[in-house]
Amino acid sequence: MLGVLRAIKTTVTAALRKPVTVQYPTAKKELPHRSRGLPVLLWDFEADEPFCTGCQVCARYCPVDCMTVTMKDNPKFAEGKSKRKKIVDRFYIDYARCMRCDICVEVCNFDAIVMNNTWDGVELSRYDRQDLVMDMDQLLRQSKSGELKDPFQEPMGIAHSGWAPKREADEEKPE
Amino acid sequence: MIADNPWLDGLVRMGIVAVAVPLAVIILTYVERKVIGRLQMRLGPMRVGPYGTLQAVADTIKLLTKEDLRPQTADRWTFELAPFVVVVPVFLALVTLPFTAEGMVRDLGLGLFYIVAVSGVSIVGFVMAGWGSDNKYALLGGARAAAQLISYEIPLVMAVLAVAMVGQSLNLVELVDAQGRVPFIVWQPLAFVIFLVAGVAELYRQPFDIPVADSEVVGGPLVEYSGIRWSMFQMAEFVNLVVISVLGALIFLGGWNWPLGREVGLGLQLPLIFVKASAFIILFMWVRGSLPRLRIDQMMAFCWQVLLPFAFLQIIINGWVLVYDWPDWVLGALSGAATLAAGYLTYRAAHQMGEPVPPRLRRAGSVL
Repeated sequence: MLGVLRAIKTTVTAALRKPVTVQYPTAKKELPHRSRGLPVLLWDFEADEPFCTGCQVCARYCPVDCMTVTMKDNPKFAEGKSKRKKIVDRFYIDYARCMRCDICVEVCNFDAIVMNNTWDGVELSRYDRQDLVMDMDQLLRQSKSGELKDPFQEPMGIAHSGWAPKREADEEKPE
Repeated sequence: MIADNPWLDGLVRMGIVAVAVPLAVIILTYVERKVIGRLQMRLGPMRVGPYGTLQAVADTIKLLTKEDLRPQTADRWTFELAPFVVVVPVFLALVTLPFTAEGMVRDLGLGLFYIVAVSGVSIVGFVMAGWGSDNKYALLGGARAAAQLISYEIPLVMAVLAVAMVGQSLNLVELVDAQGRVPFIVWQPLAFVIFLVAGVAELYRQPFDIPVADSEVVGGPLVEYSGIRWSMFQMAEFVNLVVISVLGALIFLGGWNWPLGREVGLGLQLPLIFVKASAFIILFMWVRGSLPRLRIDQMMAFCWQVLLPFAFLQIIINGWVLVYDWPDWVLGALSGAATLAAGYLTYRAAHQMGEPVPPRLRRAGSVL
């Protein structure tokens, strides 16, 4: 009997609080920094080329075989513009197959691949499965345009090392 | 009189009611979803139109264009007529329901009796739907509907009758006039509480949605219906909600009178009855969003062991006070005391569940 009154009180206090609903496509919840979307490649702004050297360690460790990587000699190395002898030639990731295990990020020696922490790493519905096989341009797009914000955060303990356009805070630092 | 010719007059009034009430139903479906949403910290419909205001229209179009299915083994005429048997009595009740002092289709004199009598018929429709569907869940639901609606009809009628005793009339307009300075809820709190609970049960809304319980009988009598026939059941439910709410506002809250008994003109009568009926509707929705469904034995026990005896008690109190011509406050005090007693009894019974109790008390203990 008193439970009835208590139930009625509970619902009216709930009604007075703000609704928790987010109107999704128009309003989006902020994703946490370490949100694990699908993997993307990073762009080295200093050498103006991808970090990836095409060493294929990610492809070999990938449990679902979703990656295809080829390597080539880096033309910029011959010109002396880059420290990388080898560079990635072609890179494909089949997003339909990837299971977001994060192993490629763990094994990468060059911090060249990260899990996308933006909504673009999640909202990937396509009409055709083939459209989910991403080539290198698509994989690098977000890093190049700067949309990918701080994929490596403090919890990983990896310092800022040239994977994004330089920020004011970095320039103030003494060499 | 809207027109001189009584036939024309009746036709015009009927037309107004027949358009206004379904419109109110369409709005109510939207309001209900919004209210329940807010009670659960959601927004409710938001996509169709600004703040989802066109959701009800979209739902209506969807229901009207949906395929009207009939199971091959269903009893054809029983199945197809059942929605009409449910919906027609509900609309018949609107004939004499006064919205203002003049605002009814026809003043039938015995309006209260007529409404109670007519609204009982829709039970037949539910049983028909349950039987005609040739589906075990529908049949179970139909049987449950018959059991529940017939059981709760009795305390509802008794509560209404108690009010009619005090008001000395079965005419709804005279009942509203009889409330004068103080509405009947003050003199008849027990009858009001019984009316409220039995009203929710008559509408088979949430704590009492046993006949149509989704998780038990997957929609009960409505399980085989789709499209327009299903929407007729839905319409009947909401029109019934309007009828019960307006009836409650008329006989307990003083209808179109100002709470402290000042007569008001037509311009204010409609807003007043609207506000009072809305209070009932919001309360019904609020209760719906708050309480879990009762078990069928709890529901029946509560009706027959608590509501009905106390409804009779209210009538006896009324008879006593009226015969000896005691002042009104005695009526209010006695009825209030009986309300508290009913509350305490239910409370004690609910708290005795689980403890070893004698079988007689155990039966009362399954009340809530």
